[in-house]
Amino acid sequence: MAGQERRIDDTILIREAQRGDRAAFEELVRHYDQAVLRLALHLTGTEQDAQDVYQDAFLKAYKNIGSFRFECSFYTWIYRIVTNLCLDHLRKRNVRKEDAPVVKDGNGGEYDLLDQVADVRAGANPERDLMRRQLGARISGALEKLTPRERMVFELKHYHGLKLRTVGEILHTTEETAKNTLFRATQKLRGQLADMR
Amino acid sequence: MKCEWVRQNITLHVYGELADDARYELEQHVARCGDCAAELKAEQDFLALLSQERAAEPSPNLLAASRMKLQEALETAEQGRFWTRLAFDPANWLRQVKFSPALASAILILGFAGGVGTAYRVFDHPPLVAGVTTSAGPAVAAGPAEASITGIQSITQEPGSNQIAIKYNTVSTLETQGSLNDQRIQQLLLYAARNNYNSGVRMDSVDLLTQKPDLSAVRDTLIYSLQYDTNPGVRLKALDGLGPFVKNDVHVRDAMLQALVNDSNPGVRIEALRMIEPVKADGSVRGVLMALSAKDSSQYIKSQARTMLAQLPEID
Repeated sequence: MAGQERRIDDTILIREAQRGDRAAFEELVRHYDQAVLRLALHLTGTEQDAQDVYQDAFLKAYKNIGSFRFECSFYTWIYRIVTNLCLDHLRKRNVRKEDAPVVKDGNGGEYDLLDQVADVRAGANPERDLMRRQLGARISGALEKLTPRERMVFELKHYHGLKLRTVGEILHTTEETAKNTLFRATQKLRGQLADMR
Repeated sequence: MKCEWVRQNITLHVYGELADDARYELEQHVARCGDCAAELKAEQDFLALLSQERAAEPSPNLLAASRMKLQEALETAEQGRFWTRLAFDPANWLRQVKFSPALASAILILGFAGGVGTAYRVFDHPPLVAGVTTSAGPAVAAGPAEASITGIQSITQEPGSNQIAIKYNTVSTLETQGSLNDQRIQQLLLYAARNNYNSGVRMDSVDLLTQKPDLSAVRDTLIYSLQYDTNPGVRLKALDGLGPFVKNDVHVRDAMLQALVNDSNPGVRIEALRMIEPVKADGSVRGVLMALSAKDSSQYIKSQARTMLAQLPEID
């Protein structure tokens, strides 16, 4: 029921925005911008890049809202814009590996230098924090080894909980292709992280 | 049930993406097969491990800063002009055709057979001579004796003028120009609203037709679009055009009530509800409102219907 009410709101807001009502567009942005920013942050890895993707995505949506024809939900439409921007970002980053702000430790694992600053707060558990950081670094490293498309499907499914049918719509592919991509991604990740179980 | 099938579908099962019958089969197999049961447990543990490291949540400061920056950018950003809706989007069209082999075949037949049996005759009077140009080059003095239309390619209105240019296809692409009072233009717009595969062209033709709702053919076409167009944006546009006639035209009122009850798009239903407000005292409208207030699936429509009924005087 909440989903249906949301679609009613969106339809009315989209029509108002198409008539040039900026406030209506801003209201529409507020319905989805947290999820968009979260996706951008997780895929780009930095707040600056995430903010750039957020800005580009919603500006693009604003400029093209006139050509939105209600053939899909606004949710799918904005996610398509964001995923395309994030895929471009991932592909550029794959080419420019030297830009990655990470350091290798003695075992070949990678970590962010800032994570090595000691936590001196009362109640801090340095050993647990170190294990968490190592786990996080290993997972980030394994995700980096997926292809941009595999990473995107995995992110949308695992961290955003979207149905694979929706993932397929967002990425302009079929549900079946999304399923196969997810299977490949999880198999690769299990291979990378087999020793952590 | 083969173990190989189970292992290929274990990931989908853990994510809840298997169809009910497949899920049942998998669970039955896992209950009997120790190896597959161990594989399922390993997959569940692994995905739980990944979930321990949750996706970084944007801080409230980052969200607030992003919103402010976007707001500043929106102040100077411009929306695309209306003609971007006219632009033929080949990628989108190809996607539709890819999943519609019947549509693809129909378009091929139209293209190569010259529209025999499928073309829509618009003109049964002298050929289009004045103002006609063809894609073959300079304007020709005379065209075919009668024109058979196979499709409307685009509709453009000059900003600030009443001149409308419509490109339509016969065997080759033609174009005609005229004002909204021109009968040829009206006929092409009526054709485009009912027959064009491009929803953007249908949207623009309906938009222009709403400027001539006094004509009965136009009103009939708007009612047709409201009832049958597959695109909710086109249906909303038709609803807009019909609004002023809900009080005096019972066909318009009936079409709106039908849209209110049956349309698949909640936005169209909401708009139809708003449009019939001036005639809520009408017997047929009152009956529909009572039915909606009792058992509509949308809470919003239910409560709005109740509010409208509460504003009516009691029937003696």
